[in-house]
Amino acid sequence: MKISVDRLHSSLKMVALFASFSCVALLSSPQLHAQNHAQSVLTDANGQPLPENASEKVVSVGGSLTEIAYALGKEDALIAVDTTSVFPPRALKDKPNVGYMRALSAEGILALEPTLILAEDGAGPADVIALLQEARVPFASIPARYDAQGIIDKIQLVGQALAAQKEARHLADQVRKDLDLLQSKVANIPPAEKKKVLFLFSLRGDRLMVSGKNSQASAIIEMAGGENVMTSFDGFKPVSNEAVLSADPDVILMMSRAGTPTASREQVLSHPALSATKAAQSGSLVVMPGMYLLGFGPRTAHAVADLADHLYPDHNLGSSALFSEQKTGSAH
Amino acid sequence: MTTEIILENISLTLGSKRVLKPLDLSLRSSDLTILVGPNGAGKSSLLKLICGDHQPDQGRILFDQIALPHWPLDKLARRRAVMTQSSEIAFPFTVLEVVRMGANLQAVDAHDADRRAMLALEAVDMERLAGQRFQALSGGEQQRVQLARTLAQVWSPCHEGQANFLLLDEPISNLDIRHQIELLQLAKDYTKSGGGCLAVLHDLNIASMFADRLLVMQQGQIVGDGPPNEILTNDLIAQIFGIRLQVNRPPGCPIPYILPQTFFDAAEPQHMSNPS
Amino acid sequence: MRSAAHPGSASLSGDRSLLGWTSLLVLSLILICVAIVSVTQGASDLSAVRLLSFLSSWITDQNEGMSRRDAIILFDIRLPRLALGLLVGAALATSGACLQGLFRNPLADPGIIGISAGATLAAILAIVLGNSLFAPLEAFLGLYMLPVFAFFGSLIATITLYTIATHRGQTSVATMLLAGIALAAILGAGAGILTYLSDDQQLRDLTFWSMGGLGGATWGKVFTCLPFIALSLFAIPFFAKGLNALLLGDHQARHMGIDVQTLKRSLVLCIALAVGAAVSVSGTIGFLGIIVPHILRLVIGPDHRFLLPASALLGAIILVLADMIARTIVAPAELPIGIIMSALGGPFFLWLLLKNRQVLAL
Repeated sequence: MKISVDRLHSSLKMVALFASFSCVALLSSPQLHAQNHAQSVLTDANGQPLPENASEKVVSVGGSLTEIAYALGKEDALIAVDTTSVFPPRALKDKPNVGYMRALSAEGILALEPTLILAEDGAGPADVIALLQEARVPFASIPARYDAQGIIDKIQLVGQALAAQKEARHLADQVRKDLDLLQSKVANIPPAEKKKVLFLFSLRGDRLMVSGKNSQASAIIEMAGGENVMTSFDGFKPVSNEAVLSADPDVILMMSRAGTPTASREQVLSHPALSATKAAQSGSLVVMPGMYLLGFGPRTAHAVADLADHLYPDHNLGSSALFSEQKTGSAH
Repeated sequence: MTTEIILENISLTLGSKRVLKPLDLSLRSSDLTILVGPNGAGKSSLLKLICGDHQPDQGRILFDQIALPHWPLDKLARRRAVMTQSSEIAFPFTVLEVVRMGANLQAVDAHDADRRAMLALEAVDMERLAGQRFQALSGGEQQRVQLARTLAQVWSPCHEGQANFLLLDEPISNLDIRHQIELLQLAKDYTKSGGGCLAVLHDLNIASMFADRLLVMQQGQIVGDGPPNEILTNDLIAQIFGIRLQVNRPPGCPIPYILPQTFFDAAEPQHMSNPS
Repeated sequence: MRSAAHPGSASLSGDRSLLGWTSLLVLSLILICVAIVSVTQGASDLSAVRLLSFLSSWITDQNEGMSRRDAIILFDIRLPRLALGLLVGAALATSGACLQGLFRNPLADPGIIGISAGATLAAILAIVLGNSLFAPLEAFLGLYMLPVFAFFGSLIATITLYTIATHRGQTSVATMLLAGIALAAILGAGAGILTYLSDDQQLRDLTFWSMGGLGGATWGKVFTCLPFIALSLFAIPFFAKGLNALLLGDHQARHMGIDVQTLKRSLVLCIALAVGAAVSVSGTIGFLGIIVPHILRLVIGPDHRFLLPASALLGAIILVLADMIARTIVAPAELPIGIIMSALGGPFFLWLLLKNRQVLAL
């Protein structure tokens, strides 16, 4: 029976491999579209203005869009969300789930009779999107850009889509104010004190998958005043133990999914390369919820502040000092 | 008109081993030709050459005056059928389905194929097991089914005046004595009706009983060729099998027989004086 | 087709022709029912009753047309998906049956022994290098780039595997399975390297496509794979008698007048065509090629004259049914069909391995 066991083992490995590819695909979408110009008026995919009733029954495909809709108080306009809409948690409990944003079902969505599909850039597959357009369901794609302006544009576009321009302007101002304030504080950190951060995407079978430049992780690290140690490549890629050792990060940043970190503290501390880094020796391991950390939505300012606090505990960049008015949601 | 299989100056090397030394041979229809010889003498190799499984190093093989490579495979299959030693079948066919594969070649339709298959099964006394799974049969029964399949492929000994051939590699090795005799009688009848048959056998007595012509092989050569009672001698047996056996010729019976008891000659007196 | 039974054959012990013809008839009827039911099922409320009322109003020529949404759901979503399911199901099951005959082994499956992996690697090559290294080719082949590449990928994998596993006309089961695993590993590594090289958009294409499923079914895809699969399915039944004879052994088949070399080459070509085309439109869907012929052999026996067409029918039935489950069970989302097939097929395969332990002789 050895054969079948081996075979199962290898198919499991393949499944794991594909699963990790799909995570990478989810997270590394922005690169192609980073150069998109800020969009001020929301149109459908053919460049046509949205119909009047578009905001009545909206399917939200993309975690940050759902978050914005809820933050704008327009959750009643959403008739369904996708599996990446993990915040607020009630979204997936209350609304039908149309599946993973890159594996949508055409009939599943048409069955809901939506007036608008609001999708983060990268939703798919392309054939399904084409069918939805064929069915004349307005499909609005929201570009993803990983900086302050990107978030603000996103909020305003979602506001337009949900007929909540006023609320959107208010939320956008708030986010801009918070991010600007953080930016100015972070700018005061002397270059010599800047922390070198490694974003550890996964640690599967002791193999390291980390973030290079031009990714959400890299952007958020820089917004929090850190410095991404891995700059030789774009997006999320597997790296060798040696590369991590020679990069020698001060802090290892990880995300958690549904409360579970991608790698446990013990795993990191027992890993041959990671355990030898300054980060591991000083115990500087930071774990933050995935959508909170990398979502680039209304909570991003809080995430940046949290991360900055973790990176520079002595600099009083603290989120508590920043956000007096409205707490949109700390996920901790 | 007799059909002939003619081997002209044939030799065969497998790997680096010279299996058959250059030889000439002609096999006539209407003869039951039986090939005997010790293990490794080249009997099966010779048979495989004749059925086209091996290519000779040199020389050529003519079937019905046409060289083997020039025969279209399907035409050749209607003229000669082969039974090999292996009888493995990968999937659970029924006995009837196996035999029908042979019958298909001559059959005009599915019904005819069934009829021909049943005739062949009756000939080997297997018609009662037609519905059984081939794999569930005993070794001897499987052998009889394979023989039926081979027979069904060239059921009539003659076709438009031309003889068909049966090439059988140890067709009765797993059979009980009754079926050994019945099946060789079948082959004998086939040749008496004008067909041709070459069979490789091990049992010298059975071979002498049925063979019109006995071919004796040793080390890749044919060392004896003729009617059994002419060529089976004490010396030949000793020479090719390396054991001294008594070839008995009972008066009035044309068939020699050999008992598997050593023939004691003067050189070995100790056996005589040492009864156990 | 000939008429179902010829006189006398029904009473002949060991003859399963009548059973074979009956099964083909029954399977055809089931397939028609499953196809009809599948068109009436889905996430939306376009039910059988409404479809029937549309049909009757169309027949009586009343001007009560379908809404644009309903028309799209029926003609652009459900029907192409049904068509793709039929084609891919038939292609995978039939090539599974052929492959098992070719290897004389009931465990051969395009997914398990690396043939799909070959197609997958080639398809990934086409996706990743399509606009750089193979740009001229892509300009020439257009939509057919993926199936053509997948075809050559599966062809090379099949030939490699056959060459490794067959020695002097004897195919070793253990060698075949082990070589298949090694081949799948090598091809997986190749796919891994290509994934590393791919940019983000390509990665997304790959991810979706490697899941295996009929989710992105369009008429375009149907017509892309149709010629390949149709050619293969049309040709394969002509090899049925040859495949039967091949089960007795290469030499025996030749003695019975079969040109074994030509037969094997044609079969490998047909299998590669069918598997390549199926993989190129639906990714890797495992186990269909092993479950379907096996069940059929238990019922109608191993005679390829019936086994091959019956496999095509049952393969289409099972895949369309599995897809119906996949797209309705978690509506409005859908499950990848690969998960359903593996959940059904994995245990089945293990059971088959257990049953064949002595054959494997490991």
